[in-house]
Amino acid sequence: MKKLRVLLLVLFVPAFLSAEPPTSFAIRDARVITVSGAELSKGTILMKDGIIVDVGPNLTIPADAWVIDGSALTVYPGFINALSTWGIPDLAPAAPAAGQRGTATPTPTPQQPAVTPAPRVHGPEDRPQNNSYQRAADLVKPTDRRLEAIRASGFTSSATFPNQGIFAGQGALVNLAGARGQDMVVAVPIGEEIILRTGGFRSGFPGSLMGVLSYVRQLYSDLDQYQQAKVIYAAHVSGTPRPEYDHYLEGLAEAPRILLPADQAQQIDRMILFARELKRPAVLYGLHEAFLRIDALKQAAMPVLVDLHWPERMREPDPSDIPSLRDLELRANAPAVPSLLAKAGVRFAFYSEGADSAADIKKQLKKAIDAGLSRADAIRALTLSAAEIYGVSDRLGSIDKGKIANLVVTKGDAFEDKTTVEYVFVDGRMFKPSKIPPVTPGGAEKGPN
Amino acid sequence: MRTAFLLFLLAIGIQAQTLLIRNATVLTVTKGTLQTGCVLVRNGKIAEVGPNVNAPAGATVVDATGKFLSPGLIDCHSHTAVEGSVNEGSVSDSSMVNIADVLDPTDINIYRALAGGLTVSNVLHGSANAIGGQTIVIKLRWGKPAKDLMFAGAKPGIKFALGENPKRQGYPAEFLSSPATQERRFPGTRLGVEDEIREDFTQAKIYQTKWKQYNERLARGEHPIPPRRDLRLEPLVEVLEGKRYVHAHSYRSDEILALIRTADDMGFKIRTFQHVLEGYKVAKEIAAHGAGASTFSDWYGYKYEVIDATPYNAAIMTRKGVVVSLNSDSDELQRHLNWDAAKVVRYGGLTPEEALAMVTINPAKQLGIDDTVGSIEVGKSADLVLYDRDPLSNYSKVLKVWIDGHPYFDRDQDLQDRDKRAARKKELIAKEKAEEDAARKKSETERKDKTTPNAVPPTKEGEL
Amino acid sequence: MRPAPLFFALAACCLAAEHQSIIIRNVTVHPVTSPEIEGGSVLIVDGKIAGIGSDIQAPGAQVFDGQGMHLYPGLINAGTNVGLAEISSIRDTVDLDEIGIFNPQLKAEVAFNPTSEHIQIVRAAGITTVLSLPSSGGEEFGSPNATTPMITGQAALMHLDGWTWEEMALKRGAALDLLFPIIPSVPRRQPVTTGTPPRTYPDLEREYKVKLEQLSTFFEDARRYAKATSAGAPDFEPDPKLEAMIPVIEGKRPILVRAAKERAIKDAVEFADKEKVKIIIADPHDLGSTLDLLAKRGIPVVLGQTLSLPLKEDDAYDSQYSLPSQLFKAGVKFCFATFDVEFARNVAFQAAAAVAFDLPQEEALKSVTIRAAEIFGVADQIGSIEKGKVADLILTDGDPLQATTSIKAEFIAGRLVSLESHHTRLYEKWKDRP
Repeated sequence: MKKLRVLLLVLFVPAFLSAEPPTSFAIRDARVITVSGAELSKGTILMKDGIIVDVGPNLTIPADAWVIDGSALTVYPGFINALSTWGIPDLAPAAPAAGQRGTATPTPTPQQPAVTPAPRVHGPEDRPQNNSYQRAADLVKPTDRRLEAIRASGFTSSATFPNQGIFAGQGALVNLAGARGQDMVVAVPIGEEIILRTGGFRSGFPGSLMGVLSYVRQLYSDLDQYQQAKVIYAAHVSGTPRPEYDHYLEGLAEAPRILLPADQAQQIDRMILFARELKRPAVLYGLHEAFLRIDALKQAAMPVLVDLHWPERMREPDPSDIPSLRDLELRANAPAVPSLLAKAGVRFAFYSEGADSAADIKKQLKKAIDAGLSRADAIRALTLSAAEIYGVSDRLGSIDKGKIANLVVTKGDAFEDKTTVEYVFVDGRMFKPSKIPPVTPGGAEKGPN
Repeated sequence: MRTAFLLFLLAIGIQAQTLLIRNATVLTVTKGTLQTGCVLVRNGKIAEVGPNVNAPAGATVVDATGKFLSPGLIDCHSHTAVEGSVNEGSVSDSSMVNIADVLDPTDINIYRALAGGLTVSNVLHGSANAIGGQTIVIKLRWGKPAKDLMFAGAKPGIKFALGENPKRQGYPAEFLSSPATQERRFPGTRLGVEDEIREDFTQAKIYQTKWKQYNERLARGEHPIPPRRDLRLEPLVEVLEGKRYVHAHSYRSDEILALIRTADDMGFKIRTFQHVLEGYKVAKEIAAHGAGASTFSDWYGYKYEVIDATPYNAAIMTRKGVVVSLNSDSDELQRHLNWDAAKVVRYGGLTPEEALAMVTINPAKQLGIDDTVGSIEVGKSADLVLYDRDPLSNYSKVLKVWIDGHPYFDRDQDLQDRDKRAARKKELIAKEKAEEDAARKKSETERKDKTTPNAVPPTKEGEL
Repeated sequence: MRPAPLFFALAACCLAAEHQSIIIRNVTVHPVTSPEIEGGSVLIVDGKIAGIGSDIQAPGAQVFDGQGMHLYPGLINAGTNVGLAEISSIRDTVDLDEIGIFNPQLKAEVAFNPTSEHIQIVRAAGITTVLSLPSSGGEEFGSPNATTPMITGQAALMHLDGWTWEEMALKRGAALDLLFPIIPSVPRRQPVTTGTPPRTYPDLEREYKVKLEQLSTFFEDARRYAKATSAGAPDFEPDPKLEAMIPVIEGKRPILVRAAKERAIKDAVEFADKEKVKIIIADPHDLGSTLDLLAKRGIPVVLGQTLSLPLKEDDAYDSQYSLPSQLFKAGVKFCFATFDVEFARNVAFQAAAAVAFDLPQEEALKSVTIRAAEIFGVADQIGSIEKGKVADLILTDGDPLQATTSIKAEFIAGRLVSLESHHTRLYEKWKDRP
């Protein structure tokens, strides 16, 4: 893999020789949070051609390296968003209209003429809402307009998944920069995302939550039979009717793990049992009410992804509408979930689906730290844990010799209000976030969406 | 020292597991009424019932003087504690879905039902399909996770629906209240409903045969490719094999009779007819088939097919030998099935004993769980309700509820907890408000500190 | 239990002569407004109660032997759709919720079907009078919009016996039916359909204020009309709509205000103060701090179904069961209604449920008899067994608020009425199927 990389670089470098800056860097005498091992109070990191060549105190810096004085700086492994649509331009939310706060107001479409009723779906055999074969690796592009801002906040990678339908598709571990989409891809396949979407009473199958679950169950049963059939057919071709090709099942078969949503306590219980029933390695995502289920999660030995978008009070609530105790407890305790998981030894990572801004994410992480998560555990969740969950910890997630050069260099501790991000390295390419706050039309400072 | 400690643990254990309810009017339902009786509970089971029972050492004693003890109430038609829709109405036969998958033990209506003496519910799929989803029986063990609510040993069920509800999505466009977004779903008439069930069971038999043949070929040493498992047909095969009960929502006498004949032809039994408001017209046939009838006490007037509903339905069917229960089909009504049961005394002159049986032993029989619940008898589970008066009195209320001898509702405790909950809410609301105020202040000071933005665009990526 | 055939032998001659005197003997009389009389009698003359006592002489009167059972006043359901709706899911059979925001001129009684099956069914449970409403329900649990009706018409008190609605009408225009505007719950999830802006609380509050303003303007129009009417100018143009508001403005016709939650109740009381009109609060479910307000102002309440779920997840499980006793303790006058047709016959059980949760038993009985009469200004006619009142009476084998009790006989306006209904006829026919 490394040889191929170098070969590609050699092939492409001549074309861009004039435009492309050198790829040899050294960050000298910085505080280095390796995550995989002890912190270095005064360490040096050497990078070349997108790889960390060495890390340690008192290293000899090659002559061609661009040196960054790290004396007042801290270096972390680049942050990994463990589940998002980052990198898929079509899935970025629409930009807010001029001067308007809040979520995008969709442009009103003209009145649709009366449509002939759609053909009815008969059940799982019709494979409705199924994008299992869609690959994020095929959809990512460096032109996604969110990338600049999130890189500037320290994110260098994402486990990116498409998000349409129930079987939403296959994810890819991608770096958040590259010349072309395919350059961003670090690892495939990493998993299949399942979204428990229901259509409602008058919709096609599946309309109910139990309908969706039965659908997922049926498909994985079909997959077992499909794989069995292939094996038997291969061994006894003559005289055996051939199994039919099913590209949905082909899509499911590739995934080494499935992602299942579980936010509320009873949903967590349900998904733990469901994953066991499906006999697939699973990762739960959401987890806001997990503070009620820490023991169950520990026993389940299933990695989880915690949604950084903490449950909030409605923006302008009805003053006479008092929230329920359950909702209040949820809002009060959700940010403490990461610290409880850390204390219980449950492996977890963080994710932000794709609608929140970098500023929001920073606030959300700070909230988790304020609620009891140690900064070290927060960093681990954003880096090595995410890499471990997706099976790429041999090449990402910590500052170690031989790993991909994804780093974030800060002045100050990560996520503190006054901290600034000075440099970000993605695949060994350096980015320097702008210090000038972006201007919105109307002159108002851009607030959180 | 160690012995003392072990004895201490034992004592606590006994205390938790031994309960004596003393001097109540005990309504056993199956073995008459003890005017002043005692019930001893040990390890979750009724150990002794009699006029005088001594409390073993360490037992919790409840003085029930002047109060009434009845078996825990049982609701044979419930949609409580379901997450999401109770209907998968998108397809003609939705037997692949299972209520067990979406049981929500955090539904507050479980607690409210407990507070009304309910201890067991038959949680059903809705009535949007001729053949609907798989159903379960639960015990209302409030506070436990979903798997602990399942009634161990109760046979699973499946919901059928006859009449107006399962045919609505098959109506021609001009009869619909809102335009259809999809093609019409078969069936659109009662004729089709009857046929749908026959067709589905025919397919189930074919599926059964397919697997039989596969297993035979395997046994012969061949290498057949296994058939695809069809999770829709498997529950129907279970019905054919007697492993799954059929609960059929039905109203009109013609459809009730037609389903009995279909079942006879296809070789399965209907366990209960639900609602069955015209059951009184075909009580003879229902009794001959051996099905139970779970009905409303006095619902009528809400749609056309209930035009011949009569509150005397339960009495007529009972006298013709059908096991009849009264159900709620409602989060609200399930909280006072005892008040509802009393109505059959007014409508048909059933005795108070027969009335109470309608919400205790009769539904237990219908669900095949009468070996452990439904009456106060030695050996049965200690599912008990303590009332301040005769439960058939409209002035009665529930004081305590036990399931398997464990207390799950206590009115005094509930009253005490109210202040605690209110205080906690107040605390959380105040905390949230304080945090919001602090955050607002912070962003205001930040805004003041910021320099005015200029029009220079941010630098491009990679530039130094 | 169905009534014994014995009574009908007597009934035959009773019904034959309408102005016959009837003496009901051998009953425990429960007048409701005075202590019960064991071994008592009640004399009916010309449809009215002419005497009550232990020993009444009534030469020439038909004797009706109560066989030691109990005589109560006929029960009153103070809010139903009886007569105006037959099968709720079939719109062709329903005459409720007319188009238009202000319809004070519509009258429930003109479409009251005297041969609706519900009449026989409901009266068989001992209910002799219902208030028939021109609307189905408050909007608290629906999704109101700009065209949601507010004033839906006039409710009428109807006897459940008579050949025509005219004969059955006990009090026409008994109340004006007002569905007070509300602020509905802010939708948790905003609509997905494009073009629809998300509705926030400020949006909903604004819409509500607009509606309140509309209501105020309508009342002002009504006052101006009233003034013009009395001035009697030659070019005066009558308007039936505003004409119907005159008794309301003059305080002669109370407004039955459907208001379920605290805020709506408060606003309704404030509105009544401002407009100087009489109101009755109907179907409240969450009184909050308005309990004292209602008590102070002497505003009565028509309670809806006690047997309904608490509004919020955290509410006490008995929050609705204990509403009546809270009203009682605060000194607020109240009666019961079911606000429907399918369970109208069970109004007594709504009252009984409250007894389990601290309402004194005799108050429960009063709330389905005399209190309803008082609230609607017909206490001189019905609601108790007193000399001079209309002879609306029920004979029972026990407490009429108990489901185990059977109603054995019933008199409406002094006439013995049949307790047969579609339900009993089906019973009689099918119980004997061979």
